[in-house]
Formats: sequence, structure tokens, C-alpha cells
Amino acid sequence: MKNIFKNIEYFLKETGTILRLNFLSNIFSILSMALIFCMLSMVISGVWISNQMVELIEGEAEINVFYDESFEDSKVSGILNEIKAINGVRQALIIDKDKAYDRMMGIMGKDAGILEFFEENPFSAFIEVKIELEEMDLIVERMEKIKDIDYIRDNQSVLNRLRSISNIIRVLGIIIITGVGISTLVITSHIIRQGIYSNKEQINTLKLLGAPKYFIVLPFFLEGIFLTLIAGIFAATMGNLALWYIYVQTTGPLPFIPLPPLENLIYGNTILTLCTSIVLGICGSLFGFASTNKN
Amino acid sequence: MIDAKDLCLQYADGTLALQNINIHIEPGEVVFIIGPSGSGKTSLLKLLLGMEYPTSGHLAVLGQPIKREKNSEIRRMRMTIGPIFQDFRLLQGRTVLENVLLGMRFLEFSKNEMRINARDAIERVGLSHKINTSVDNLSWGERQRVAIARAVARKPKLIIADEPTGNLDKDNALNILELLTSFKDDHTTVIITTHATHLIENMDRDMLIQIDKGNIEWGRLNHEEYF
Repeated sequence: MKNIFKNIEYFLKETGTILRLNFLSNIFSILSMALIFCMLSMVISGVWISNQMVELIEGEAEINVFYDESFEDSKVSGILNEIKAINGVRQALIIDKDKAYDRMMGIMGKDAGILEFFEENPFSAFIEVKIELEEMDLIVERMEKIKDIDYIRDNQSVLNRLRSISNIIRVLGIIIITGVGISTLVITSHIIRQGIYSNKEQINTLKLLGAPKYFIVLPFFLEGIFLTLIAGIFAATMGNLALWYIYVQTTGPLPFIPLPPLENLIYGNTILTLCTSIVLGICGSLFGFASTNKN
Repeated sequence: MIDAKDLCLQYADGTLALQNINIHIEPGEVVFIIGPSGSGKTSLLKLLLGMEYPTSGHLAVLGQPIKREKNSEIRRMRMTIGPIFQDFRLLQGRTVLENVLLGMRFLEFSKNEMRINARDAIERVGLSHKINTSVDNLSWGERQRVAIARAVARKPKLIIADEPTGNLDKDNALNILELLTSFKDDHTTVIITTHATHLIENMDRDMLIQIDKGNIEWGRLNHEEYF
């Protein structure tokens, strides 16, 4: 360990020399790995966003209960209390016509002007029921037994569809992550092997001088980590720019999509891409040494 | 220092490189190994460096038996040897100082000791004025001197030089041999192989080993007995 610290400057310089000797080949390796890592970061971000969306929507899971608008307030209150008493109901609120109108104005934002074309308020009063999603079937069943309820609107089909999309993205993500991991390992270990073979003479000389194995391989090991780290930095930058662009494009025309905060996503993406690149660099280098040792 | 008894080396293709070699070399001796090309000189040096293992017999270098199963001990033994190769084996694209330092980096020298040793060795081989020159820009004779400086800076107990004059003209070759034999004064054992017997006629030495077709004659201590 003492010798490693004593020679840290030498190891870094030697790594630089090895990188310089195969400059063009290393540039292409960095570019190809950066593209692979970028794909990886986009897939992971996609999986994360879809999970977040499903979680957010699940957290907001609600059932809308419609009733005859001619009912007196006391009758509506009676319905409300019956609903509140059902197991799995977290909250139940009466949304009158005006509130429903205001909400839609809020959702539509700058496009809300379209509502002014209606002579009368087009929305109906309803009871908004926040529920535990897993209890939805039972809650709906109990509600259907309450008389005076006209219509129950649940969003189960939408939620189920969202969940299945999220699962597909997750499976695709795992497949792509595995593919990317293997490709990076192959590329990195190939670079390391190439470096070792093209420096065979130097390695033999060091062996004859009695150099320990760690001293001989450390510069090549650092080369592997350095290449993947540079590729990781490129990939994180490209990935973050792509995410920013997607957010700008999405939040304007599709304001109702509940995306997680961009800052969190960029921070997570940067950390994850860099850590993955370092880990894959270490593993690739180790595989490279192992395969060179065998030969 | 070096002890060989009934030493034999046969390569995988069946070539018998050395047979029944018996040598005993004491610390601080200067030994020349002479013989024509293909006589077995380099094979003997390979054995001494642990690059090959004896097929039969016994060989110990600096007290370390040379055996296949003693790999890590042999590596440690190499750390106390200063090898000088016929083709120099310098690191291209690096300066004289970097090449000399490289041989010491994994030894138990402090950074300061490494720097002092390197500068002393470079000065001793007469290359102080080219300390920061890339070895790619040196002549063959200068490269050989860098290889010697690299070996000497390690403060080895044993210097092994394989045909150190092979690529040099007569004047340069004599200079190199004189330089190598001068390390005897530091109580370092020096073993030099050469096929150019005319160059060593007047060299100071303790032992001259003649080797031919894998057999050796040894113990000729002075000029008259051999020449």
C-alpha cells in the first residue's frame, strides 16, 4: 500500500501514456461506451418516471360518485356519510358545480378560455372519494348498494393500463440494462487486453526487474476506469440534456402528466450513470486481466 | 551467492541447452561467461534470472533455490538483481531519468533515495547531460548506459549483463565493460556474457567461464591461463 501511494504520480502518468499511445482507438471506445451509457440512463430515467407516475396516480386514486342534482343538501350529506363509513375510504368531499368548474379552469391553464364559450356551467356536482387503491373493488361494490347514487366513475381501467405500461418499461429496462452492462464489460475488457498485449515488452521487462503484479497492472486498471468514467460523464451530460428537452416539450402541451421534479431526475441520473460507469469499468478491467492471465 | 550442482536445462522441443553445470560464485566477484552464439550462455543467464527452471540438478541464486513452485520468492529475488539485457529493454517515449527510476519504484526506497540513486547512477554512466532526454533520441551506446544505470541504481547484490557489447563498436564496448567491472568496488557480483573474447583480454576479473554446446569449463582466473 505504501508503494502505491509513493508511486501514485507514476501510475497516473503511466495511465496517461497508455491512453496517449492508443489515442484514436480510445476515443472511439469512449464514444461507443458514452452512447451505450446514454441509452442506459434514458431507460433508467424512463423506468423511474413511469414508476413515479403510477405511484402518484395511485396516491391520487379516487372515485367520483354522481347523484341527482335535485337532491337536497341533507340527502347529499347522508350519501356522503354512508360513503365515509366504507372501509378503505380515506376522504370524501362534495364538489359542487362551481368547484368542478374552477378545477377544470386550473387544469386547463391558459387554454381555460374555451370554457367561456359555454353559456351554462357544463359540469355536474359529485362526491370525490379518495380511496386505498387495493380496496377499490370492495368499495365500488359497497357503493353500488347505496341507493340514490346515479353513477360511479372509477379510473380502474386507466390505472391498470398505466401499471401494465410501467411493467413493460421495467422489463424492457432490465433487458437493456443487462445488454448495456454486458456490452460495456466486453468493450472495457477488450481495451484492457489490447493495452496489455501492446505493452507486452514493457510488462515482461517489469517482471524481470521483479515488479509485483499490482505494480504492473494498476496503470491498465486505471485506464479502464478512466475510459468508462469519461464515457459516463459524456453520457450523463447527453442524458440530462435529453431529459431537459423532453420536460420542456412535455410540460407545455401536456400539463396534466404528473412528472417528477426535473432537478431530482437530473441529480439521480448523474449519480447513477457515473457510479454505473465506474463499477462497469472496474469489472471490465478485472475481466480483461483475468482473460489475459489465462492466455 | 550462486551455487549450481549438476545443473541441466532441456527446452520443451528437446534441445539440451545446458548439461551437468557446476559453478560456485562468491559475493563481489566479476565473472565473464564466454562462448560462441548458441553455446548456452543466455540459457544460463535465464536460469540465473528465474526465467527458466532447471530440468534437473540444483541452482540457488542469492540463497534462493530456482524452482517452478517458488515463483513469488523468485520475483522477490529479482528485486535484488540488476539485469542488463542485450536489447536494453528500455521504455520507449520515456526519458533517461524515468527509465532509471522505473527500476526502483517497487523497491523499498523512499522517493528521495530513488532520486539520489538515479542521479548518481546516471552520473556514473556519464549521461547527466541527457537526464531529461527521451531514450528514443539516444545512440545505442547511450541506451546501453541507461540500461546499466537502471540496473545499478537499484543497488543490486548481483548484476547480470547479457551481451552488453553486442550492438556497440570496439571503443564503446570497452567503455561499457570497464564500467561494468568497476562495480566490483561496490562489492557487487557482476556476471557478463559475451562472445567477443578479444574485448575481455585485459579486463579485471575473478573468473572466466567458457561455455560450449551446453558444457562449461571454469575457474580460469588470470589472463595467461586462458589467452
